[in-house]
Amino acid sequence: MKTPLKLLLCHHGTGGALAAEALAHEFAVPGTTTLIHCLVVPELWAGMQGDDWLNNASTRDAFGNYVENMLESDAKREVAAVASRCAERGLACESVIRFGNPGETVVAIAGEVDADLVVIGSPRKKGEEGLRSRMELEKLVRGLKCPLLVAPHP
Amino acid sequence: MIYMKKSPALLIIGLAMLLWGWFNANGSLDGVQKSLQRSAYSDHMKVKEKFDAELRVATEIAAAESKPAPDMKMPKSQFDGAKAFQTQMCYIFGGIAGVLGLLIMVWTPKEGNFDYYLSIFPGMAYMLLIALLVRWGLDPLFANWGRDAQPTLGWNFATIFNLNYVVLGIVIGIVIVNVFRIPDWAANGVRTARFFLKTGVILLGALYSATELAQLGGISVAMIGVFVLGSIGVVLYMGRRMNTGNSMTAVLSAGVGVCGVSAAVAAAPVVNAKAAEIAYTIGTILVWGVGCMFLFPTIGHLLNMGPVQFGAWAGTGILNSAQVAGAALAFDPTGIETLKVAEIFNITRVLFLPIVVLWLATWYVKHEVGAEKVDLGKVLFAKFPVFVLGFILMFLLSTLGAFTPAGHYQGKYFSAEQIKEDKLLKVKETRAIEAELARLKEAVGAKQLQDHFKDKAINIGARHATPEDAYKGLAELIANKKVTTREQETLLAAVGKMKGLDAVAASAIDKASKAAYHNSKTIGAFRDWLAWLFSIGLIGLGMQITMAALKQAGGTPLIIGGVVGTAKAVGSLIVVLLFIKEFI
Repeated sequence: MKTPLKLLLCHHGTGGALAAEALAHEFAVPGTTTLIHCLVVPELWAGMQGDDWLNNASTRDAFGNYVENMLESDAKREVAAVASRCAERGLACESVIRFGNPGETVVAIAGEVDADLVVIGSPRKKGEEGLRSRMELEKLVRGLKCPLLVAPHP
Repeated sequence: MIYMKKSPALLIIGLAMLLWGWFNANGSLDGVQKSLQRSAYSDHMKVKEKFDAELRVATEIAAAESKPAPDMKMPKSQFDGAKAFQTQMCYIFGGIAGVLGLLIMVWTPKEGNFDYYLSIFPGMAYMLLIALLVRWGLDPLFANWGRDAQPTLGWNFATIFNLNYVVLGIVIGIVIVNVFRIPDWAANGVRTARFFLKTGVILLGALYSATELAQLGGISVAMIGVFVLGSIGVVLYMGRRMNTGNSMTAVLSAGVGVCGVSAAVAAAPVVNAKAAEIAYTIGTILVWGVGCMFLFPTIGHLLNMGPVQFGAWAGTGILNSAQVAGAALAFDPTGIETLKVAEIFNITRVLFLPIVVLWLATWYVKHEVGAEKVDLGKVLFAKFPVFVLGFILMFLLSTLGAFTPAGHYQGKYFSAEQIKEDKLLKVKETRAIEAELARLKEAVGAKQLQDHFKDKAINIGARHATPEDAYKGLAELIANKKVTTREQETLLAAVGKMKGLDAVAASAIDKASKAAYHNSKTIGAFRDWLAWLFSIGLIGLGMQITMAALKQAGGTPLIIGGVVGTAKAVGSLIVVLLFIKEFI
């Protein structure tokens, strides 16, 4: 397989994502490959105020801002961590943070950055704790115009 | 930022409503309405048959007297009333939607308040349209199917599963958001669902008496106090035992203990809950809430619970406050008695919320190393539910007689003056009461009456009723052929329920009691509008329940939530069945 020039790594800090990052590093060549870190904040957060109706608007706003800030700082922390590990290997690294459906968003970003390889982690084992926001693989496979690499679960 | 989405949707909704109203008015939809509103149509046929017979007799008499045929108008039936209401509603709201829809199509939006407020109307009309389809279409349709299937199934599935406009509306809301997604043009307006529900609760304040509020308030404070504080304590204990983090335990205890998602939303920032913890908690509460909304009314019907009992149970046992209103209306979709009780419990819960958030904030600071202290006064002020003040204001205005004369608030009021001639007791009935009066004055009858009064503890004003009061009341009833005072009605209603009383006399007393009560048109209309507000609000809230959020239920929070939720539901059911009586 030829060396990817733009490798899109889907990474949001889970064990599976760390495995994907390790695999991406194997394929990336310093000086040739640009690793593009794609972090999707799943749209499930849009419905996270649920059917709350008793609170005042100020309480809902405070909750919304709190969650937004938390997600933003979590995302920035992940981006910084991935960038730092890339720097250690001499890899060029860029990042894209988006909000939306994970599968659809990855397809869209891959198109925008003209990625020639997409690397993702494999789904968590059943029963393992974590947010339930799995990437729809079929959507991804059908939508991508470049090869997709799935790292085995660690 | 421009909020308004250019779309013909509002115009189309408006035109659809106007068309429905117009077809209704000219009778083109009578075939559909007949099949949907069977009971109202049956009433219509009875009114028509009676009218046709009267017209025939009047025509024959006129012909015999060589006079022209009389010009008589058929009285309005329930069917006519229902059609007229639909037409009126469609013309008013269809007209408003049509005009605003046109404005959206021709106006070039500019940033500002006008753009923002205009952007909410399509979503509001969307919820209203669904509410109309559910209340006028699906609700009667399911009721008819339930009745039709009863002979085959042996039970009415629509009644047992509470497939009425409330449950169907919420389910449609959930289906729309998860299957079709809320259209962009409706997104802003759908968020006003909370406004409809809060307005409903505020207006509901006008329908309580001081006695009801005091009684229900007392019960709710006692029950909510025990179960809220109890479940918070249990969650805090279980969380520590199961090594769930402090912030997770705190946010879960608020959600499971007080008022579900609302409490989790209020407590999360105060206890620094992490993203995944919020997701787990809200997912767990939503799953439980939605499940309980379907389960509670069915159990309530199976246990033959009354409005006070069910309202108290739902108000205490259901984790999430939105589903409390849903379950209360699902249990009793035609009246609002259950909703009145349940909402008092909801209000009590939300009044507990600032205190609980303060408690958890203090608990969290004590247990979490490095946690920042919070400004307790600021938290208490920010979390105070302002809409409760509106509820209290409406209650005060209603008590002062601002909307209807005092005593009309329950929908029925006492008036001896308004008893119609045909509702007066007939000779046969007064004779039966005379005979019973004579019997009750004899030794055996007097003893029976005395025991009955003692057993039922019947009061007139501040004192216990005596057999002499009953003799006097019955004598006055015979003389006037109707009850003349509320005290007399209360007394005679109790006498009428005495065992061994002659059936004709008992039925006559019951008839006289009922004849003295009249429906308040103002309160009747008020109740109808309240039901519409809750219906629209609950459809909108259904649209906020996403499968993505529901799917987050799991792990330790689901175990703790499951244990405490079940204990609370079962415990409150036992307490309600043992101690709450239908006394309001």
